Amino acid sequence: MSYAKTLLLWFLMLWMGATTVWAEPFVQGGPIGSQTSDGYNALGPVVEQPIEFPHNRHAGDMKINCMYCHTYARRSNVSGIPRLDKCMGCHNLLPQVRDKPRIKKLFEYWDNKQPVPWKKVHDLPDFVRFNHERHIQRFYFQEKRPVREVCGYCHGDIASMTTARRVKALSMGWCVSCHEKDHLEKVGSSVTSHGPNDCWLCHK
Amino acid sequence: MSLSNLIQNWQMFRTRRPYEDQYKDAPYKWAMVIDLDTCIGCNACTVACYAENNLAVVGKERFGKGQAMHWIRIERYWGEGEEMKTDFPERGAQYLPMLCQQCEAAPCEPVCPVGATHHSADGLNTQVYNRCVGSRYCSANCPYKVRYFNWWNYPERAWPNPLELQLNPDVTVRSKGVMEKCTFCMQRLRAGMDKAKTDGRILADGEVLTACAQACPTSAITFGNLADKKSKVARMWKKQQVDLAKNVQDKTEEGIRGYRVLEELNTYPSIVYLERLRNFAA
Repeated sequence: MSYAKTLLLWFLMLWMGATTVWAEPFVQGGPIGSQTSDGYNALGPVVEQPIEFPHNRHAGDMKINCMYCHTYARRSNVSGIPRLDKCMGCHNLLPQVRDKPRIKKLFEYWDNKQPVPWKKVHDLPDFVRFNHERHIQRFYFQEKRPVREVCGYCHGDIASMTTARRVKALSMGWCVSCHEKDHLEKVGSSVTSHGPNDCWLCHK
Repeated sequence: MSLSNLIQNWQMFRTRRPYEDQYKDAPYKWAMVIDLDTCIGCNACTVACYAENNLAVVGKERFGKGQAMHWIRIERYWGEGEEMKTDFPERGAQYLPMLCQQCEAAPCEPVCPVGATHHSADGLNTQVYNRCVGSRYCSANCPYKVRYFNWWNYPERAWPNPLELQLNPDVTVRSKGVMEKCTFCMQRLRAGMDKAKTDGRILADGEVLTACAQACPTSAITFGNLADKKSKVARMWKKQQVDLAKNVQDKTEEGIRGYRVLEELNTYPSIVYLERLRNFAA
């Protein structure tokens, strides 16, 4: 093998090694259709739910606060999927939509005394500790930002979707990109602070 | 990343520790006192730790090879040393619960090639499993030998179906090739600190206990916040005249029994042991 060929082979191997081993899975950009709403190459998959729940009707048109149903978000690590009786609490009193196909399905579950097997959309790895409570308390209750904006930091504009889809990257680099920003402590105050950056605050 | 954040991070995590008034304004500095006089060597702390922190049971053979994963272990010593021989050697057992001392100047930290272990703002020596590449240098450098390496992939063996349901969801199940160590039950501390922060206060003394301290039947283990001067731990440290930032303690009082293990190595541990009292006349 000639010297030039050997050199070429070496370059090829190096280049392949560089692309396979050091490929950065989380980058700005990526192919159209696989980009998150803030432009990373990490759009979540489409999750088929048992009932195509219209977030856009509830949170968008009716302007129901996210925490009316996801009630644990302000006081727990997890935001919680509402129980079926939370749905029925309203829909028992709404005969005008009783014959819609999705509501019929809902009543089927209710009559069979079965929970709706909702599927998880925003699933963090097992080694991550994410606390909804602290984020909601800080941005919604302390800074009084609108709920659609606060939840939207991580979940995107759910109020314009039917069933939720992960439209933010939710990777560590993405979390840190917000935690390292200087946020105002309170409305009208000039004091800023940024999110915690210690490993053990998120890794468990 | 803004430059000020970068510099602040650097100062927080990569300064020489300990220094004067390190935790003067900090809300938390976790520390412990272990009273060897009340320790009866029952191993309840070890069992509690296994349950709380998803520690794998490795089996007799691997235990014999020194591959056990006990984050807290009871060390046994016999007799009272050279100068105090006892006529009743069977009465001479002494127990010393040994766990990560959460050293301020931890020997394990600077040697990690990938920065998987570092000092947290509340004075804990952290271990990040995702970052660990298993060089085991930290374990080699630890004078207390309290870092444990996953030589095997334990989860399937240690928790066959349906035993995986007993695992604590707040703690990672470690896999092969990473180092692990006592975390002072970080998951409990974190849950407590988050709740306290929502209430706009800091954790009260005794609100959060580590699993070992909670399980100890004789209350030999006292856990608390050293930055809070009124906490039980801080008062005990003061009474025993142990200063976190000193490697040679100037003790003025007679008969106090607090000491830190291998203090002469300048590791500045966060755990004070209270010496055992013996009555040889009886």
